[in-house]
Amino acid sequence: MSTKKRPIYIAGIGILSPLGCGIDATKQTLLKNDSAIAPLSADAFHIKQSPPLPVGQVSDIPDSPLPRTHRLTIAAAKQAMKGYSSPPDAVIIGTTTGGILSTEELLIKNETAPEEYRYHGLTTVTEELADVVNCTGPALTVSTACSSGTVAISMALKMLQSGEVEWVLAGGADSLCRLTYYGFHSLQLVDPEGSKPLDVNRKGMSVAEGAGLLLLTTSKPEKPLGQILGCGLTCDAYHPASPHPEGKGAFQAMRNAINDAGSNARTIDYINLHGTGTPDNDLAESKAVREIFANPPLLSSIKGATGHSLAASGALEAAIAAICVQQGFLPANTGCVNPDPELQLTPISVPLNQPVSTVLSNSFGFGGNNACIIISKADSPTAPCQEEEYVPLTIMGKACITGAGHTKNSLETFSKLAAIGGVLDLQTISEKLPARKVRRLKRFSRIALALAAAAKEDSGLEKSPHSVFMGSGWGALSETYDFIDKLQNSDEKFPSPIDFVGSVHNSAAGQIAIMHGATGANITSSGGDYSFEQALLAADSFLDENSPSAFVLAADEAHEQFSLLFDPSISTNTPLADGGGGFYLTKQSISGRISIQLKYYRKQTEDVFDTLVTALNKGDSSLNNCKMILAGIPAAYSKAGEEQLDSFMAKTGLDIPVIHYRKFTGEFASASGVAAVMAAHLLEIGAVDPDKSILVLGFGKYISAMELALQ
Amino acid sequence: MDDLTEKLKIRLIEVLNMSDITPDEIDENAQLVGGDLGIDSIDVLEMVVMVEKDYGVVINNKDIGEKVFSTLGALADYIRENSPKLSS
Repeated sequence: MSTKKRPIYIAGIGILSPLGCGIDATKQTLLKNDSAIAPLSADAFHIKQSPPLPVGQVSDIPDSPLPRTHRLTIAAAKQAMKGYSSPPDAVIIGTTTGGILSTEELLIKNETAPEEYRYHGLTTVTEELADVVNCTGPALTVSTACSSGTVAISMALKMLQSGEVEWVLAGGADSLCRLTYYGFHSLQLVDPEGSKPLDVNRKGMSVAEGAGLLLLTTSKPEKPLGQILGCGLTCDAYHPASPHPEGKGAFQAMRNAINDAGSNARTIDYINLHGTGTPDNDLAESKAVREIFANPPLLSSIKGATGHSLAASGALEAAIAAICVQQGFLPANTGCVNPDPELQLTPISVPLNQPVSTVLSNSFGFGGNNACIIISKADSPTAPCQEEEYVPLTIMGKACITGAGHTKNSLETFSKLAAIGGVLDLQTISEKLPARKVRRLKRFSRIALALAAAAKEDSGLEKSPHSVFMGSGWGALSETYDFIDKLQNSDEKFPSPIDFVGSVHNSAAGQIAIMHGATGANITSSGGDYSFEQALLAADSFLDENSPSAFVLAADEAHEQFSLLFDPSISTNTPLADGGGGFYLTKQSISGRISIQLKYYRKQTEDVFDTLVTALNKGDSSLNNCKMILAGIPAAYSKAGEEQLDSFMAKTGLDIPVIHYRKFTGEFASASGVAAVMAAHLLEIGAVDPDKSILVLGFGKYISAMELALQ
Repeated sequence: MDDLTEKLKIRLIEVLNMSDITPDEIDENAQLVGGDLGIDSIDVLEMVVMVEKDYGVVINNKDIGEKVFSTLGALADYIRENSPKLSS
């Protein structure tokens, strides 16, 4: 219940959007009810097809060698951290574009040097930010399309409420790029006149960019800017790119957020709508709103002013909601001249100066990914919270795919201590998938779907899990490559809608949800070599007694061109390898079954092994129980990683077998997911004593530790 | 059956990756979207790209799109009537 939860305060706000830079500029533009949507200018990038489409573009982004999304993020972080010198305990960023704009430019120049592509990965946005704000704790990246920013803040909320962290910098960022500019255009979702949400003549959205970051804390700041009361995450499990026509998932996400806040619908006095301006979104959202609110409160979408900044949008709007409750004003539904009577909603037509205490902010995205949060004034009572006992994640089923084949072949080959690395042929990967349903899906999504199906089969359970937590270092490389390739080879005239929809990082998780009817939380994490670990952490944060079960999986695909350019662990002589691993998990203690927990995830620092050892001896765990280590040292960190492993062994004095799992799996970002499955297998076959545990350690820029043990 | 319809069937299978069916199995008079083939709005948009690329026919209006993509036969007719590439 909410009374037991720690209050979460907003201590700082950072905001860069087409409206301006910072709280004051943002508010001033909103008060004028002006739209910042204008034709794309060459400041962002050059296009070959004219006339340029209307977009929401940020001016005056600080210059640096980093890609545009990274620069937006860091500029917003500096605003949010103003007045705070202590680093946050964790940073969480939602992004879909990462360094793709820079990658596009490099590909146009036929650049072949991998170091030039070092900022492509989504995780580099968060890791660069962590470096700037001196955060040595978890640097987590979520990518759930247009709900990413709200999901990142929701994740922060859960981690803060658990008491594991006290200060978190969280939000979302995306820059304009050709992929989204042409991608949404190819889906005929862009209004050529600029977005006018809720208007009877609306024809679509305007792609935009921006960054919104909130410094959140459980420790009441001197001048709190607001509070986050609750969040609700759901998945439509309906279609990869269209919302459920009745707004079913959106309704449930709003309902869950209100329940999570311990409130009821009557306490909401303003709704910041997702309101993209596409005919389908606005209609579905209106139905969901009317389902919850018999008499809807004041409401508006600001996307007619800002455009739709994708992963940034939810975070921008959370920041604006905080400004609204703090300063007592409400933005208008800019651009809407004649509200669509079919929606039966009356959006705010002019900005209002009036007090508002509780805001519901909606964000919905591809993959049917819905996220809603509740923001309020910082005057909620600070009731003492009750520590809840940790409930472990228990493995009900497991699955992996490697070059050696599906789970059985992979584990049998590994048991003989033979290599399992390589690239399994697509036909074998897809052999148990319904051909017609996966025809549009390329390698990454098929690996993920095959893993989910196999984990469920292995569980022997009839019912599929409710939620999906997916990890991927690089996402859908085939679709991304094919989209850019077709775009370039047609002078930017023929972008592929199918490849665009498939290219989003959460496309695979969305497909899993559709195939398994998983309507609970659906989060894709992209943490480079720690993507499986980040998915596991997300699952541990969100699963509870009401929604205990989930697929927790990680997958990556090897790609002839992109793997070499992007993954620093792959060089010209590295044999390509891919696959993934994961589980059907449930958050409940079950005697005789194996539990899995991420015990540690921090940046490599001088005292890292002291804190690691402390973490591994915390609670019921003891390093003395550990009888085997599976160590993951990515090739890019081979020397540093070996030294880290030596330091760890010296520090602990452990004399137990250490298996370098990447020597078996080959080099790919989600190899740790396969290693976790190997560890579970070794425990199941009794390779270690039943009362002992196995650690799966990750080395490199960050140090991670997962513990698997029989309960 | 005319050449254009036959070509469209082959392109449809290619573009939408329907490797489990043959051109003969596609009925040019059957409902295309939401029918037995499992074709949805994203597939239609991919076909829009294909039709513009192959035949120079632009379909960017939802109402026209719904008519044009009602059946494969209707699509062939529309291309025949509007394609500068086929007019000679």
